[in-house]
Amino acid sequence: MVGPSWFFGFGSMMEFISFVIAIAVAYQALKAYKLSKEKTLLYLNLSFVLIGAGLLIDGLSSLIVLLARAHREFLYLFGVGYTINFFAQLVAYGLLVYAYVHQTRNLTAATEVLAAVPVMFFERNAVTELILIFLLVYIAIQTGINYSIHKNTNSMLVFGAFASLSVAHVFFLIFTVAPLFYPFAQITQLFGFLLLLAMLLRVNQPA
Amino acid sequence: MIPDTQVPAAKPAAKYRSQLRIYVDMMYVIQRENNEAKPTRILYGANLSHDRLVKYLEELQSLGVIQETGIDDKVYSLTQKGTEFLNNFRRVESFASAFGFKI
Repeated sequence: MVGPSWFFGFGSMMEFISFVIAIAVAYQALKAYKLSKEKTLLYLNLSFVLIGAGLLIDGLSSLIVLLARAHREFLYLFGVGYTINFFAQLVAYGLLVYAYVHQTRNLTAATEVLAAVPVMFFERNAVTELILIFLLVYIAIQTGINYSIHKNTNSMLVFGAFASLSVAHVFFLIFTVAPLFYPFAQITQLFGFLLLLAMLLRVNQPA
Repeated sequence: MIPDTQVPAAKPAAKYRSQLRIYVDMMYVIQRENNEAKPTRILYGANLSHDRLVKYLEELQSLGVIQETGIDDKVYSLTQKGTEFLNNFRRVESFASAFGFKI
């Protein structure tokens, strides 16, 4: 993803920070899975590994293009990085939606269809950004419901994180017609990951 | 931390979870009782039958997470390993709960 030229290094830096946080969340989810053998936590782990990998690849490809800006032949890396990041997120959020559907006892036909969406539209690039927003909004609603039940800070932080990521992807969508929105999208995305970091720090603080 | 090998892999996940949950509930009761809980307290606190209480107390002792400390009466307390396990479990439970997942 290109964005305004003045924002070039910052975008990559934000993606690297988000990558580190995503991997930290994945690690915590893996620890939780090993202890409980709860499958939904394995999905959470895989999901954040994919999100982290996508962000790292996108950040690296943007950085390579930035460092080798004199060589136009490297420009195609923008597309490669973005595509990999995009599909990694698609599968990751699809997995998270599946995890929420999986743990819900009363499955409805609608939610079953919802879980299958990323598979059905996997190759439709024209609508993929909208599908990401759709998946993220679904996850944000689920985490919002969880917050409304538990009313604690950790669940609020997770809800805030997914709400921010949803808004970030709306900005990414608008960016395709208004380049000014790219920095807003990156900043909102980073904010979402920072909320997840705050939750991790709270969970791991000494008793 | 209770090693993975203590619970046979062949058991269905739901059964494993319920067993882990019972272990943790029993250990929470002991911790709540200032780390000195009589069997009756654990029985009521963790909502168990007498047979299951005896079975699980033996299992927890063999795992090294609780110990019998009473001289005249039977009293159970958490070991260092048990306290560490419970602290780890609390973190994991808090993390999963933040996402709305149950353990």
